[in-house]
Amino acid sequence: MTGQIPDYHLDMMGETCPYVAIATLEAMAQLQPGEILEVVTRCSQSINNVPPDAVNHGYQVLEVQQDGPNIRYLIRR
Amino acid sequence: MKWLDFKRDYLVQFWSPIPSVIAAGVLAAYYFGITGTFWAVTGEFTRWGGHLLQGIGFHPETWGYFKVIHLEGSPLSRVDGVMIIGMFAGCLSAALWANNVRLRQPQHRIRIIQALAGGIIAGFGARLAMGCNLAAFFTGIPQFSLHAWFFALSTVAGTWFGARFVMLPVFRVAVNIKKVTASQPFSQTSGQAESRFRLGLLVFAGFSLWAIAKTFDTPKLGLAALFGLAFGILIERGQVCFTSAFRDLWLTGRTQMAKAIILGMAVSTIGVYSYIQLGVPAKIMWAGPNAVIGGLLFGFGIVLAGSCETGWMYRAVEGQVHYWWVGLGNIIGATLLALCWDDIAPVLATRYDKVDLLVVFGNTGGLMVTYSMLALAMLAVLWWEKRFFAAKAAVQEVA
Repeated sequence: MTGQIPDYHLDMMGETCPYVAIATLEAMAQLQPGEILEVVTRCSQSINNVPPDAVNHGYQVLEVQQDGPNIRYLIRR
Repeated sequence: MKWLDFKRDYLVQFWSPIPSVIAAGVLAAYYFGITGTFWAVTGEFTRWGGHLLQGIGFHPETWGYFKVIHLEGSPLSRVDGVMIIGMFAGCLSAALWANNVRLRQPQHRIRIIQALAGGIIAGFGARLAMGCNLAAFFTGIPQFSLHAWFFALSTVAGTWFGARFVMLPVFRVAVNIKKVTASQPFSQTSGQAESRFRLGLLVFAGFSLWAIAKTFDTPKLGLAALFGLAFGILIERGQVCFTSAFRDLWLTGRTQMAKAIILGMAVSTIGVYSYIQLGVPAKIMWAGPNAVIGGLLFGFGIVLAGSCETGWMYRAVEGQVHYWWVGLGNIIGATLLALCWDDIAPVLATRYDKVDLLVVFGNTGGLMVTYSMLALAMLAVLWWEKRFFAAKAAVQEVA
């Protein structure tokens, strides 16, 4: 844990590709610069989508936490 | 401590997909040298559909398609069959190591519909083209079979249509972000993680021992099973997704997986070439409209379903119920194709030549042509990536 505190939370627990990555990018666009979004999901494949997409679209990936089937991403706009 | 680090870094955390795909490309070349066939899965799924039909009293063994792909024996007596069982064992071991097996029900009914419909379309298209993302693409292109290039290019087009289609409002669920002041903790699963890890080791060791024993008895089958185990571990640990390689070019501009697959085919090509030079016959299929139509259907179907023939395998084993529907759809689609093959094959497939690039251009020429086209594909991906983000920046500029 980096101890970063999120400003917003996006629950993608029941979703699959490509919607986790798409929704994350759409949500990021709603944040103010500097704000942090927490995304939680059980889509394993998102590990190859969400972090690289966030970086490609100009955001900063603060944390990727993998706990069994659960994955948490913290992304700063 | 050393063991715990190793476990965390290699057996629990996901692997980078790029080295995973390249490793699969290397293994696929050796697999061809050892078994004489290419790494492929949908042909065997079609045979499973055939066995099911036999079980309820039909005689698919008299159908033309099953004469082409052979329905003799059982999954345990076929190279493709034991290899796929190995893949499932590998996926299961790898998912258990990371405590990543959990029943995950789709939350929306539309997902089940798209999984099943997409699976049927993709299964039908793949078998029409005589392959899927493997035999007509990842392991087909290194065979120097022209049909794989037809399939690959039309799959690119099919995924573009698919990507537009799955973004229609009917498939979208509202994106609701919630203001929070703290992280949401995950429920503790440490006790389960330990027991699942041991179970994963047991599956891995048990299957390995069975396959090694089989190798002494029938070397080809035993080694095919061990290769399957390795393929399964690679695709689950690396979360190797051929669908995303195409789809996300269009949706988010991500090129990582597409580049990885082109590199994987590049390393596989020279290995397969060396075996062909030593006398192993290449696997060449009809380069007809069947490969083009099959690729279009396959590309559209995999994006609608959310995964291709290899993608659903590891996700289904992880307990993602969505992909059980995709797998079922694939088997239904492939069996439907087998059912109507005798009517459509003379028009779409069998009257066309099986074009071997090593025959058309000669050995060296065919090799050079293949590497040139792979290089062009890589350049096209790089160009697209640049263009995608330049267009996005221009839109933001205006806004």
